[in-house]
Amino acid sequence: MSSVEDDADLTRKQRREQAREERKALEQAEAADAVRRKRMTRLGIVVAVVVVAVVVVLIATGGSSNSHTATSSTAKTATETGITSLVSGIPQSGNVLGSPTAPVTLVYFGDLECPVCREFTLGALPAVIQKWVRTGKLKIEYRSLETATREPEVFKTQQVAALAAGKQDKMWNFIETFYHEQGEEDSGYVTEKYLQELAQQVPGLDLAKWTTDRSEPALANQVASDEQAASNAGFTGTPSFLIGKSGGALKKLENPSLTESSGFDAEIEKLLAG
Amino acid sequence: MGANKLRITLIVLGVIGMAIASYLTYIHYAEIKPLCTAGNSCIKVQSSVYSKLAGVPVALMGLIGYVAILISLLIPQSENTRFATMALTLVGFAFSAYLTYRELFSIHAICEWCATSAGILTIMMCLSVWRFLRGDPAPASAGAAAAAAPEASAPLGTAST
Repeated sequence: MSSVEDDADLTRKQRREQAREERKALEQAEAADAVRRKRMTRLGIVVAVVVVAVVVVLIATGGSSNSHTATSSTAKTATETGITSLVSGIPQSGNVLGSPTAPVTLVYFGDLECPVCREFTLGALPAVIQKWVRTGKLKIEYRSLETATREPEVFKTQQVAALAAGKQDKMWNFIETFYHEQGEEDSGYVTEKYLQELAQQVPGLDLAKWTTDRSEPALANQVASDEQAASNAGFTGTPSFLIGKSGGALKKLENPSLTESSGFDAEIEKLLAG
Repeated sequence: MGANKLRITLIVLGVIGMAIASYLTYIHYAEIKPLCTAGNSCIKVQSSVYSKLAGVPVALMGLIGYVAILISLLIPQSENTRFATMALTLVGFAFSAYLTYRELFSIHAICEWCATSAGILTIMMCLSVWRFLRGDPAPASAGAAAAAAPEASAPLGTAST
């Protein structure tokens, strides 16, 4: 009888113990679940914040993927007005700016993506144009030499785009616009869209004709022969210059100031006097 | 993988990443060209407009990021430090993903240094998310960890052992 009671007691004890164990396991499982949920929530918050941050950065930097796209339309209009007033009234023919009968010729070897060329184009060049080209004493030929672009296909495309504008005697408007709105070197900003936008800014440029002319093999050949000419002259950097009496032998113009016209002035005066 | 092994793996990856970011930061300020195997792609990326964000070189941002990740791994571990490591690596991963996107679709060139760093951050992010979710116990500072976050000493961490 007493052993039966003992058995019953033991069973009760075991049941209590078992229930306690189960409760404990349940509590632990719930605690673990709570921890897991908390961790997942924290992870979710971080992921959400990071995603928002990436979107913000993409939107903020998207506009600067090409520096020109960051240029406001007001700034573009101002640039174009400045370029027009610089070159308007000056004869243009293909890659030449200035009177065909100008006594002195300056050959300017450049790469449209070259920042130093930009420095010259926005620095010394306007004064040279005003003082010598506008007065019919100098003509400037723009020729291509790849330096900063470092991608032959892109280089050819952009230089041909400029030469195609030259088929409508607007090459100088095109290259001036390119240099004014030049992007960060090596950022890959020269895309088809970029070239189209530049062309649209050139006043009076027939876009359909410009597009057709770009596929003319003669223009690509012109770029190649420009590069050959630069190589023959021993030029490896841009901008590089050749200067001389029109129709005569041209010589290198070594290291003129790119921001002031004095170096060009002196040489042109000498050639005109001689 | 044991908690300690996981932490050491993360530290080693962080040190490699920090070395890459240090090199890229150095060449940025010294204005020298990076060592590059695939043509000029590294130079192109390093000198692109995207090599800076709000005027700060991204290489320097990467360096700061790796240092922060390493600090979070080297201090006594707790639930919060594991959270910090995970959050930092997630930010680093997202930033790398953004830069890789720019390399592929804006610059059209891939820099091996950046790609390696992006790979390291991807592995670090996966490991640190896993580490945070499984809640490794931190024996060295169990008391402090338990006080700061009692769940850190819960038997969850043993689940995978």
